[in-house]
Amino acid sequence: MRRTRERRTLVALAAVVPLLLTGVAACGSDSGGGDVTITFVWWGSDGRATLTKKAVELFQQKNPKIKVQTSFSAYAAYWEKLATQTAGGRPPDVLNVDTRYLAEYGGRGVLADLNEGAGKSISLADVNPELAATGVYQGKRYAVPWAQNTPAMLYDPAAFTAAGADPAKGLTWDQYAEATQKVSAAGGARGTTDFGILDTTLEIWLRQQDKQFYTPEGKLGFTADDLRRYWQLAGRFRESKGASAADVTASYNTSPEQSPLGKKLTSSEFAYDNLLPAYQKANGKPLNVAPYPTGGGGSTGQYRRPSMFLSVSARSRQQEAAAKLVDFLVNDPEVGKIVGTDRGLAPNLKVRAQLASSAKGADKTLYDYEAALEPKLGAAPPVPPKGAGAIQKLLQRTYEEVAFGRMSVDDAVNRFMSEAEKGLQ
Amino acid sequence: MTTVRTPDPPVAWDTPVRARRRDRPPGRRRKSRPEAFAFLTPWLLGAVALTVGPMVVSLYLSFTDYDLFTSPKWVGFGNFAHMVTDDDRYLQSVKVTLIYVLVSVPLKLTVSLLVAMLLNTRRGGGGFYRAAFYAPSLLGASVAAALVWRALFMGGGPVNEVLASVGWHTPSWVDDPRFSLASIVLLGVWQFGAPMVIFLAGLKQIPAELHEAAAIDGAGAVRRFRHITLPMLSPVIFFNLVMEAIHAFQAFTPAFVIGGGRGGPADADLFYTLYLFEVGFQDFRMGYASAMAWVLLAVIAIVTAIVFKTAKLWVFYDDAGERR
Repeated sequence: MRRTRERRTLVALAAVVPLLLTGVAACGSDSGGGDVTITFVWWGSDGRATLTKKAVELFQQKNPKIKVQTSFSAYAAYWEKLATQTAGGRPPDVLNVDTRYLAEYGGRGVLADLNEGAGKSISLADVNPELAATGVYQGKRYAVPWAQNTPAMLYDPAAFTAAGADPAKGLTWDQYAEATQKVSAAGGARGTTDFGILDTTLEIWLRQQDKQFYTPEGKLGFTADDLRRYWQLAGRFRESKGASAADVTASYNTSPEQSPLGKKLTSSEFAYDNLLPAYQKANGKPLNVAPYPTGGGGSTGQYRRPSMFLSVSARSRQQEAAAKLVDFLVNDPEVGKIVGTDRGLAPNLKVRAQLASSAKGADKTLYDYEAALEPKLGAAPPVPPKGAGAIQKLLQRTYEEVAFGRMSVDDAVNRFMSEAEKGLQ
Repeated sequence: MTTVRTPDPPVAWDTPVRARRRDRPPGRRRKSRPEAFAFLTPWLLGAVALTVGPMVVSLYLSFTDYDLFTSPKWVGFGNFAHMVTDDDRYLQSVKVTLIYVLVSVPLKLTVSLLVAMLLNTRRGGGGFYRAAFYAPSLLGASVAAALVWRALFMGGGPVNEVLASVGWHTPSWVDDPRFSLASIVLLGVWQFGAPMVIFLAGLKQIPAELHEAAAIDGAGAVRRFRHITLPMLSPVIFFNLVMEAIHAFQAFTPAFVIGGGRGGPADADLFYTLYLFEVGFQDFRMGYASAMAWVLLAVIAIVTAIVFKTAKLWVFYDDAGERR
């Protein structure tokens, strides 16, 4: 009996030991020598990934001691993944941050203050001072701008010329309403994608009236009455059928391929100027970029927007290598050439001037557009508060209630204001 | 997220198993075998580290305010109170999920039983049809099936075109709040394969003599279905009902994909699990999300318990006599 018991224990050990060994082996790390490895993540399409990986390769050639592991995902998935990684205590060393989430991550101590330590080696000397001033939240530099874009209108020039309008010259909101109605009446695609759901367009419209979306203290910068007037403006477009039908509006998705203009369901849409090539590819027709319609003679409200930020994780053990990569991506002329206008214009003005002189096609349209607009562009608004990502979705949701006729504008405004105040506490 | 243990498949009518268990000599029944535990170790490690551990942590988090980055702050029952008093979207998500469970589960069970009965008749090609009807279930929770569904039912999609050709002009099914949930219910019902296969097995267990005897006594098809098929099949119906209800409460993928990852147009597809995910991973309120997960677990447990309690009234086991 005793012997059988021993044999059983042996069998048991035989079963467990290999398991433990594999566990131990998996824990062993493979870093060695003087080389350091850093991780770098961003959001975007496959096309952007190809360009970005090329830039990273160039960095590795020039810094053979640093190895960069990259990964990327689509915008929404990117934030979900990043939140999980951060909560798990292993955020990436270098990461892409959007202005909507800067307060969320910076304010919670996830991002390193680049005015301190290794971050000081990142040069912003050749970056437009107003653009360089972005990325600072509550006195700390949590990010540096990687590219510049501006909110803009993208449109199908053929459709608008046929309707007797030239958005490139600048329209008033009244003229735009009339033009979109004519475009829709001509059959085919509707005049514009209903902008009642777009937080950026609301922001620009507010700026045209010297108001702001968020105050520097992180509260809403507009009143219920402002929102009511904005949705009444959108309502004019919707009711005259100049703007997309409610179900098309509801299918809106931030990627150019999935948006109504990209799917040829509308002839114009408010987006960002750097998305022109992507929209053009999705739509198939030659598109153009125009300034925002105005209230008549006034400012367009557009501004120099940091289209993307680069940040370094506060927990990164490789602060120096990480800062080096950030500086390289922002300032290296070769990188500017590789990544082109995919994220927007290069932040470094010397690099940008070099690239502008040799641009072609949609890139050239973009450079010409921003060059013409440059003197009129304002400074970016203050960093949006924590919860700004949710406000964007709240605006979309409540306006959909109006567009589908399930709620009056007044009720929707009340719901938006009360939920937004709760969300921004 | 928490998962719920599923009940064992119904074996009540399967008397041989029961008999064998009884035949076993009583002494050998509960002997401890250390090597058995050794072989169970990998599973035990997994269960403790990957299921029990996280569940304990999430129970703790459900009583805290936790934003994923900074340490959790204890708030007692604050999260639970917030759900019922101050969160309209939470109530919307409860409403959407209840509608989905109450509509899709009976519909799916009915369809799967009807198809199982069709396949149970002796006709050629039964195996082929069985496989064909089962296939959608294999694709069940997949993102691909939901994407195809979205493409089928979107504005200008094939479903729109076909309906328009017979003069019925509909908007995009998936992007209109009136139809969006219906299209997700339809996707759920389309995946009736798993309950169907179980129904089919149950139907094959019903002795043909019962039907023959009833037919000789003059019972028609409807009467035989009502008085023979349904009672004999009730353990299987019970099993399928419990399984499908649990699945329906936990539905996530179709709503996530078809609703564009944000609860669909005007929150029409805001499933409970979807809102939970959004709260936890997009709004960084993991404490609240954990509280929501535990409420869901409790509700599923209560609903399952109620179904089990009522089972005595309508589920018949053919060995009921022996049990007494």
